[in-house]
Amino acid sequence: MLKDYFMFSIKNLAKRKLRSWLTMIGIFIGIAAVVSLIGLGEGLRIAVTSQFNFLGSDVLSVQASGLNLAGPPGTAVATPLTDDLKDKILKINGVDAAINRYIESGTLEFNDRQTIGMAMSIPEGSERKILEDMLNLKAEQGRLLKDGDNKKVLLGNSFKEDDIFGKGIKPNDRVLINDISFEVIGILEKKGSFLFDSAIAVNEQTMLNLIREADDTDVNVIGVKVKNVDNIDNVKENIEKLMRKERNVKKGEEDFVVESPQNLLATLNSTLFAVQLFIYIIASISIVVGGIGIMNTMYTAVLERTKEIGIMKAIGAKNSVIFFLFSVESGFLGMVGGIIGIIFGLLLAYGLAFIGQITLGSDLIQAHITSGLIIGALLFSFILGIISGIVPAYQASKMQPVEALSFIK
Amino acid sequence: MKTDEIKYSLQNLAHRKTRSLLTMLSILIGVMAIFALISFGLGIRNYMDTLAEEAGADKLFIQARSVGVPGTDANFFVSADDINFVSKINGVDEISGMYIRAGEVKFKKEKKFVFIAGTDIDKKEFVEKAFTVGVEKGRQLKKNELGKVVLGYNYQFEDKIFSKAIKLGNKIEINGNSYEVVGFYGLIGNPQDDSNAYLNYRSMELLFEDIKDEFGWAMIGADKNTDPEVLAEKIEEKLRKFKDQEEGKEDFFVQTFADVLATFGTIINVLNGILILIALISIIVASVNIMNTMYTAVLERTKEIGIMKAIGAKNSDILFIFIFESGLLGMVGGIIGVILGYLISSAGGQIAAASGFAMLQPVFPLYLIIGSILFAFLVGAASGIMPSIKASKLNPVDSLRYE
Repeated sequence: MLKDYFMFSIKNLAKRKLRSWLTMIGIFIGIAAVVSLIGLGEGLRIAVTSQFNFLGSDVLSVQASGLNLAGPPGTAVATPLTDDLKDKILKINGVDAAINRYIESGTLEFNDRQTIGMAMSIPEGSERKILEDMLNLKAEQGRLLKDGDNKKVLLGNSFKEDDIFGKGIKPNDRVLINDISFEVIGILEKKGSFLFDSAIAVNEQTMLNLIREADDTDVNVIGVKVKNVDNIDNVKENIEKLMRKERNVKKGEEDFVVESPQNLLATLNSTLFAVQLFIYIIASISIVVGGIGIMNTMYTAVLERTKEIGIMKAIGAKNSVIFFLFSVESGFLGMVGGIIGIIFGLLLAYGLAFIGQITLGSDLIQAHITSGLIIGALLFSFILGIISGIVPAYQASKMQPVEALSFIK
Repeated sequence: MKTDEIKYSLQNLAHRKTRSLLTMLSILIGVMAIFALISFGLGIRNYMDTLAEEAGADKLFIQARSVGVPGTDANFFVSADDINFVSKINGVDEISGMYIRAGEVKFKKEKKFVFIAGTDIDKKEFVEKAFTVGVEKGRQLKKNELGKVVLGYNYQFEDKIFSKAIKLGNKIEINGNSYEVVGFYGLIGNPQDDSNAYLNYRSMELLFEDIKDEFGWAMIGADKNTDPEVLAEKIEEKLRKFKDQEEGKEDFFVQTFADVLATFGTIINVLNGILILIALISIIVASVNIMNTMYTAVLERTKEIGIMKAIGAKNSDILFIFIFESGLLGMVGGIIGVILGYLISSAGGQIAAASGFAMLQPVFPLYLIIGSILFAFLVGAASGIMPSIKASKLNPVDSLRYE
């Protein structure tokens, strides 16, 4: 029975081959555009968020609040963190380690060329290992820093490429940081994160004595590692309580933030999502237009087949049967358009990503198409087809058999 | 001349009302989206042109190279010596340094982080011209007065920066020090600049102890007869020698105002262009729809075409009828699309203004309106070409027999 319905629909579509093809082309263009844009958008979002995905889930960062993006973290703030806070945070229950991080902008010179970057400190003693684990630092060439390494620097992976200074940096090379000569001790493993691959890491003492101004003891960020991930919210609250007391501010007036990397990622994700959404909305206009095309085709089909509908009704077809027949037909139009659209969308997304990577050389351009997206697009195009066909199908089902039989084109 | 044919087309469109309306709907949506996007794109370009005119194409900036927002990284700055040196270069009419730091502003227990700018009161006319706005309410700061502040436009309204509106004479705290509000700047049009707080040099140097003579950036006015581009290069070269730095290793850069705007303009144009391209996809789909409608129309009217040909209609007459019909579908869709696009853009502009982006205003030049409608007509006509050729080539005898 059901098979008959489908055969009937397909036969009708095949009879008006040109019209069916044109209608499906309308849907297929829209679906291809949306599938490829979502694929590329997701790829971009994953590439961007992975830039910040280097910290474990058991880590919190404490910073003074200020204007974000204005200079290195912890510089554009009103009341900087003091260096005594670390020990107080360490006494809080559930805190495994607390480490002062110093970050300073400066010039880096090599091969007679100069760039501006951010130098970060690595603590001495037992804290070194904790931070190295926390950030998962490993040397690809040379070695990591150790205590007593004065005027020695560990560089991020991107410095070994030729494009920054015209010549890649190797261990034992000498570079100038703020015009002071440093020996390169090692190159870090590639992380795929901009922040780490362009890192300039020095020992804390080197940072405080050579790179910073002498009397500057402000801490940029305090990194906190908790003992048990399940307690992280609890520890976060306790740190906030301590900070409020230390800095003498009331609840709701905090001039500092305690954040987990997950928080940061969530914020970043929601910003990117807003941009993606806007593009998707504009892209889905073409799907709506495709839907209108289906509706139009179905209206025409109903009109052309008025006499046929009359005959079917006269020999006993119920309203529901007529409605179902036309719905299947329009759903079919949507779905076949959708299938072709998805195939072209996949080709387009991967093709564009490939071209983008070759011409721009950026890893940020990549396509990420999940089976969810494919199934979703397929279902969506089928439903769109059915919805576009509802009104014409309804009209067909409600026809008076006598009038329909006497209809003349 | 062709009145009969035109009348015939109109009658036919009216005869298949639902189909004509749906076809027009499909093209009007795309036209609407493109019209709205272009009107915003042109609006931003307009805004930048006015900015360039008002602020003057004769302005240049010296900025410290730094990480993050220029001027806020205290490790890199333009020094008072640099400014003094540049002021003596031939072709430099005026120069004024700007202190800039992030600060915490407190009003009635609420705190916000904003940029605190220290401006040169001796050169206030020059500075205000470069900002394109002056103090519009209250008064400008005096050179040496302390404890007074002028605020950006947005502070005057509740729920923009603080939940309560600030009035002249109110006290605010910046990094714990109390200041009386003596004036407000006019609307600059972006939420960042409109939430700055302004102090004079002396207050700034007292508030940030280490800032003295370390400016975030400096703006320069070129002499009337000097080309700012040439002057920029000259300043760069002389300042480099003065600071004893090698080429490519400068800790500063000189940009003309026109350059800054051009960079910004290119980015906006590219982004807007991508959006327009995506919206164009829907026009392609609409064009397929029109083609479909026209093929159906030709099919339905096969007999009619046969009769027309039998009584002497030429192939070209039939071609004209059908192309005109599809062009008309496009054009009516275009007209409605432009009207709806206008409504959407205007509403969008109001929303943007209410959220602080007064610079984001759409404009509707006549050429955009006419161009959009013409474009829709051409898309319609082009989509109808194939079906129309099919119609014009029909064999009269076969057509007459068609059932």
